[in-house]
Amino acid sequence: MKTKLLQLGQVFVSLLILFSCIGNDPERPLGEYDRGILIMNEGSFGSNDGEVYHLNPSTNELKPDIFEAANGRPFAGLLEDMVNEDDKMYLIANTGKVEIVNPGDFKSLGAVTSGLDQPRSLTVNSGKLFISDYGPYDANFNTPSSYIAVVRNTLGGTVSKKIAVSRKPEDLISFGKFILVAGSEEGKVEVIDAEKEELVKSIEVEGNPSQFFEIDGKIYLFSSKADEVVIYTFHLDNFTLATSNWYPIANATGKIALSNSNTLYILTSSGWPNYEDGIGVLPLFGTSLQPKWYEGSGFYGIGIDSSKEEIYVANANGFQGNGTITVLDKSGNTVRTFDVGRGPSGFMMK
Amino acid sequence: MILLVWAFTFFGSDIQKIDTVGLQEIEVISPAYERFGQGQKSIKWSQKDLEAYQSRSLADLLADQSPVFIRSYGPGMLASPSFRGSSAGHTAVFWNGIPLNSPSLGQSDFSLLPVFAIDQASLQFGSSGALLGNEAIGGSVNLKSQAGFQEKSSLLLSQEFSSFGNYQTNVKGSISGKKLALQSKIYHQFAANKYPFRNLALPGTPIQEQDHAQVIQKGIVADLNWRISDNKSLKTSIWLHQAEREIQPPMGSSTQDFQEDQALRWSMNYEVFKKKSTLSFQSGLVREELIFNEIENNTSQFILGGTWDYFPTEQLSYHSGARITLVKGDLSTYAATDERLEIFQSAKYSPTNRLSLSLNLRQLGYGDQLVPLIPGAGLDWTFLEQKNQSLELKISAGRGFKVPTLNDRFWSPGGNPELLPENSWNVESGLHWKKNSFSQSLTFYSMNVDNWIIWLPQGSFWSPQNIRKVRSDGVEYQGSMKFKTGAVDWISQWQYSLNRAVSLVGISQNDPSLGKQLPYTPRHQAGLSLQAQVQRFSIQAQTNYTGERKITADNPRTLSPFFLADLGISYTGFSISKIQIPLQVRIQNLLNTQYQVIYLRPMPGRSIHFTISFQL
Repeated sequence: MKTKLLQLGQVFVSLLILFSCIGNDPERPLGEYDRGILIMNEGSFGSNDGEVYHLNPSTNELKPDIFEAANGRPFAGLLEDMVNEDDKMYLIANTGKVEIVNPGDFKSLGAVTSGLDQPRSLTVNSGKLFISDYGPYDANFNTPSSYIAVVRNTLGGTVSKKIAVSRKPEDLISFGKFILVAGSEEGKVEVIDAEKEELVKSIEVEGNPSQFFEIDGKIYLFSSKADEVVIYTFHLDNFTLATSNWYPIANATGKIALSNSNTLYILTSSGWPNYEDGIGVLPLFGTSLQPKWYEGSGFYGIGIDSSKEEIYVANANGFQGNGTITVLDKSGNTVRTFDVGRGPSGFMMK
Repeated sequence: MILLVWAFTFFGSDIQKIDTVGLQEIEVISPAYERFGQGQKSIKWSQKDLEAYQSRSLADLLADQSPVFIRSYGPGMLASPSFRGSSAGHTAVFWNGIPLNSPSLGQSDFSLLPVFAIDQASLQFGSSGALLGNEAIGGSVNLKSQAGFQEKSSLLLSQEFSSFGNYQTNVKGSISGKKLALQSKIYHQFAANKYPFRNLALPGTPIQEQDHAQVIQKGIVADLNWRISDNKSLKTSIWLHQAEREIQPPMGSSTQDFQEDQALRWSMNYEVFKKKSTLSFQSGLVREELIFNEIENNTSQFILGGTWDYFPTEQLSYHSGARITLVKGDLSTYAATDERLEIFQSAKYSPTNRLSLSLNLRQLGYGDQLVPLIPGAGLDWTFLEQKNQSLELKISAGRGFKVPTLNDRFWSPGGNPELLPENSWNVESGLHWKKNSFSQSLTFYSMNVDNWIIWLPQGSFWSPQNIRKVRSDGVEYQGSMKFKTGAVDWISQWQYSLNRAVSLVGISQNDPSLGKQLPYTPRHQAGLSLQAQVQRFSIQAQTNYTGERKITADNPRTLSPFFLADLGISYTGFSISKIQIPLQVRIQNLLNTQYQVIYLRPMPGRSIHFTISFQL
């Protein structure tokens, strides 16, 4: 069972993880960070000051820099993604490393500190780590050599193989011994056999595919185009497209959150010249689409606390200092705001 | 150690026995050539003062011997100045009167300005846009290279060997008659920078050796000084500089960036002296090429100007002038040109030799924009003058401004052609007390910077906007003393600065950084140096304290204060025939302090530097 930021927006997924974790490792007591909300602060380019904050939603107690507090050293990277799989928390820094910590107390368990360029996300399959990586920039700031890095130990170590994929791979998701990769720049979903460590199939999709999510055992893919978003599902027996649905939500950024009522909250940004950001709401099995459910500026991350039906919107405040979290109720009214670290970009609801 | 030195400095000597002869380090006075900078704090280093820094950069000099905070990304890496909490782009930098700041970046990298290449340096603190022009908001740096009329020839070869695989070679030759003086300098620095550091980004925080911070710098400076006739002179200088740098990544990154900088700088000054006036024509050219990972950016500036100084009476003097600057940028994402025309006028009135008042005005236009009139005024008043001591009051107020850089206006995507110039108001007041060879100064200042340009993410790219307003207040204290105990000549200098620089207006009303100290701006800095000389032996000790810095204004993470100590021993008694052979051993970071100026950018620990010179 894979737990990523997006899926953890769902309470039922959280509960599944919670119980599955307990079931898999009954001896590990619940730690402080097994409950509550983890706030991912990406950090600022060139500063490597990414970190994780923890919020106790019952008391509103906010603990800063929990990685540094647990390990006596800074995270020292730009935090791109957090993945909770195999009863471990993987913190992926796009500056070239993966830190592996105990999800309960964030104590270090291991790391991948070499052989990576710009890692984006990760999945665990067949006792190995598969890390999507943009690869190095060329002279024109393109990334023609993107890959999936293979580490044959879930506690980290060295990169043993790099599987070439299309440019700018983002999210990954495991299904059996297979891994689906969202190839964001070329509009591809690539399938990797985790045991053979080989690319076995490539599926063409529209737009810029960025996120996978699961509902009732089905794998969904979110892809964004200029004027619309596309939701795909797959036949998992032969890895072909099953369904494709287009929705008129413009300027989606690729950052989404899924509620337990199967509603997607999608961050949008108009870009130049007005720079209007917003949140579009897309009920996957309903009809009340709201392309501009909430509007503002500076949005950089989104999450959902489904237990309280509260939407968390992260504002990076231009990376000039700390970011701000605005908590909205289901009607879009502000419940509260609070400051977090630099460049808040995502949430993990536990 | 510092306590002992402080105690000795204050209580262990008899300042009445001061020998007025000695190495002069810093003069806290208005430089003579800044005749209209009344009321403003300044620091000046003569050629002799700079001798101890011949193998180091301007960044090292300022970090050691001034209240300017140098934001250094590592040895030989980007080092930018912060005067009184202002940004790197709020510092005007001149070489022989020619502005050196990159027109595309709006700032200079002080690690690429070797002290060996210059003969004099001075700092002017506070906003003085009327006197100095664009970018003089927090302060300005004036560098000078000039062949002197020594009426003799000289040749110097200096070789330094250092820890971490570093070495530097300097060669300087000069020839001079009564009418013509020539000087040439050649330098070559190789810094492998393979120093050990604790890598905080890795589990177990192992000690590692820096492996991507090699720096090679080389250059040549040639100066000509020609007294054409009794009332005409021509000075011209050319400076070629090249640097190749592996860009040291922050801990946690493994980037292998490489940067090459090349600069061609030329200055020319033609002066005609008359009975009550001086006419001066100035021209200059600065061409720079920056290649970052094969991405090339080129800029050039051509300057043409003239000034007229008029002294109708002993009490009155005037200074008028005009300058045209043609700027061209050919960068990786855009090409642009800019033309700037400025006229300026200064007047000074000195009713007595104890009182001087000055008024300065400047008007600048660029493109189709006109910067509002820039005024500045100051006063120097020695209100107490006795046989062996004097007390002087300095008061000044002035505006500063900064024209948006080419990148600010034209970078694609994101450049904002509608940007307004940043502007500032600065007021300061200082008391300077001198008693024999003991001097102290205390300066209070307050500065507001408005329309501060910051780059903000706008969708998929970043764009600059006039947003921030900053208030900076502070106190700067400096002192120096020369004295003699037995056969030992002593010189001591000390300084302390307190700065409070906060944002008054940020990116929103709820900007959490409002009212908090700006990032990488220490509230407290202090320094103390002591030099003892016995005949041809000399020992120098230099200590510096830098207070804690926030990495962002509102972030809980702070960088720890650090204390650095350097020690140097020199002997100038060796000679072979007519060749003098001075020797020097210098230990930098004597206490092996582990520190970062910028977050996750480790600085080197203790290093030893041995220098041998051959002087003819």
